[in-house]
Amino acid sequence: MGIRGKMKFIKSNWLLYVFLIPGLVYFAFFRVWPLIGMKLAFEDYRIIGENTFAGLKYFRMLFSSPTFLSVLKNTVIISSMKIIFVFPIPIILAFMLNSNPFRGLRKGVQSMIYLPHFLSWVVIAGIWISLLNPSSGGFNNLLNIFHLPSMDFMTQKGSIRWVLVFSEMWRSAGWDSIIYLAAIMKISPSLYEAAYMDGANSLQQTIHITLPELRNTIITVFILNLGFFMNAGFDQVFNFMNNSVISVVDILDTYVYRIGLQNGQYSIATAASLFKGLIGMVLILGTHFTSKKITGKGVW
Amino acid sequence: MVRRNRKSLGVIINSIILLLIAACMVIPILNILAQSLTSPDRMQDLSGLSIIPKGFTFQNYQILFSNPQVTRSIFISIFLTVCGTALSLFLTAITAYVLTRPSFVGKNFFMIMLIIFMVFEPGLVQEYFVVKDLGLINSLWSIILYRTIDVYYLIILMRFFEEIPESIMESADIDGAGHFTKFTKIVLPLSKTAMATMGLFYGVFRWNEYFRASIYINDPSKWPLQVLMRQFVVLNDNSSMMNSSGALSAEVLKSIDFNSLKAGTIIVSIIPLILLYPFVLKFFTEGTMDGGVKE
Repeated sequence: MGIRGKMKFIKSNWLLYVFLIPGLVYFAFFRVWPLIGMKLAFEDYRIIGENTFAGLKYFRMLFSSPTFLSVLKNTVIISSMKIIFVFPIPIILAFMLNSNPFRGLRKGVQSMIYLPHFLSWVVIAGIWISLLNPSSGGFNNLLNIFHLPSMDFMTQKGSIRWVLVFSEMWRSAGWDSIIYLAAIMKISPSLYEAAYMDGANSLQQTIHITLPELRNTIITVFILNLGFFMNAGFDQVFNFMNNSVISVVDILDTYVYRIGLQNGQYSIATAASLFKGLIGMVLILGTHFTSKKITGKGVW
Repeated sequence: MVRRNRKSLGVIINSIILLLIAACMVIPILNILAQSLTSPDRMQDLSGLSIIPKGFTFQNYQILFSNPQVTRSIFISIFLTVCGTALSLFLTAITAYVLTRPSFVGKNFFMIMLIIFMVFEPGLVQEYFVVKDLGLINSLWSIILYRTIDVYYLIILMRFFEEIPESIMESADIDGAGHFTKFTKIVLPLSKTAMATMGLFYGVFRWNEYFRASIYINDPSKWPLQVLMRQFVVLNDNSSMMNSSGALSAEVLKSIDFNSLKAGTIIVSIIPLILLYPFVLKFFTEGTMDGGVKE
């Protein structure tokens, strides 16, 4: 379409551009403006007057700060633990649900395991604080039944990251199994018929039919997760964090919140955000193109 | 679709494990419900694994609903959820409509912008500055506006609008329908399910929002329920609930058990989600729940 054609389109469809105004205003204020504001990472913040250029000063400060390095380490550890221990659970759950022959049981179980996904992290933290309460909590009651001693998991540095892993599992394993279940449903029944005729038992059917057919779905979900690696679950950590364990669960986002909004060190917080944003960008672009190459479907 | 014998050992083990997993998901929630209905003097007797209250009482709920701070925060949450969801739905839909018009001039520019927004998240400090510069600190609008259009939802809705057959739109063109008519009379009615799904997602997100509210709203009388609950339940600040408890008699005040009151607060905050839950199951899981093993 030439310039003239474009002008003609705009003239006869001017209403579309009016429709777009509210969206444009929103994106301009809440997405573009803050993006431009990120230049503060290279500036000294002034309450009165213009900010002054500071070069890479704040990045140097950031990378020589032991707190920041430990925050970076925590982010990587917590995210990795979640990928290793939480990621496979929904797949296993989907297999188990799919191979259970009792329709009523399946439906009942499904309607129970999807529920935690809809609770806010404030509520989940409340439930887990109660569950892990050293004197009256359900989990410690369970330990006592097996004659194991009670423990205050929420305030122990050795256990809090596992609390994060298990609460993440509790919240999302059920819901995330939906995508795998849907993929399993799409597998042609004739494949199973043929395998059954050949005398394959259900385990063999799972290994030789279901798993290979699910490969693309698993890869897509896995790399999507990788794309958000640097997030490590801000809302979760923010609500599960307390002073006794802050040194092992403080992640990039909680760090930015604390030094930026609470301590008012705007430039250094922005530098940390920018660093996180750049890594996130590389990861998402990387996952997009990898996903496109392997499965033919990208993130967008 | 795997064929197997109903009574095999594998099936029994599979069923037991599934039921145990389901129990792990639900018992902690039911225990909170039981705590909230247990009378304060019997709290010691209630096991953390029990789902049956001891000395059944509604006292915690009476205390909560007679606390003006709690009822106010519930109304604020409802206001934010309803307004926020309506605004988000409307703006996401109308933007998606524009961006899916064939040969829309400017589409490429917008798509590139959307991908940039998706790939690069601006920092928290910058968003705070925007809200501050717009004079929205301490205004509920800060929470409504900060994520009016979710880029991912916008792209999902665009994919959905693209599926609407071009022939329908063309016949509307022939009848002389303008964009307003096509949007309200054709695209929206044909996308009812997608809009309902999206409304549900936006609604849950709005109802559960606490973080932006806790940084943008300094005045506790404007807090939504989630922020008040975080202060009370997560940060263990009992005074946050007691600021306006003048309405309670000294006797009731003395008998309060804070753990069961916390449990009550949690339950109050998830009631709307429980009410919506049957619809959630219907919308999102229909295909995966009815299929499965065919005997």
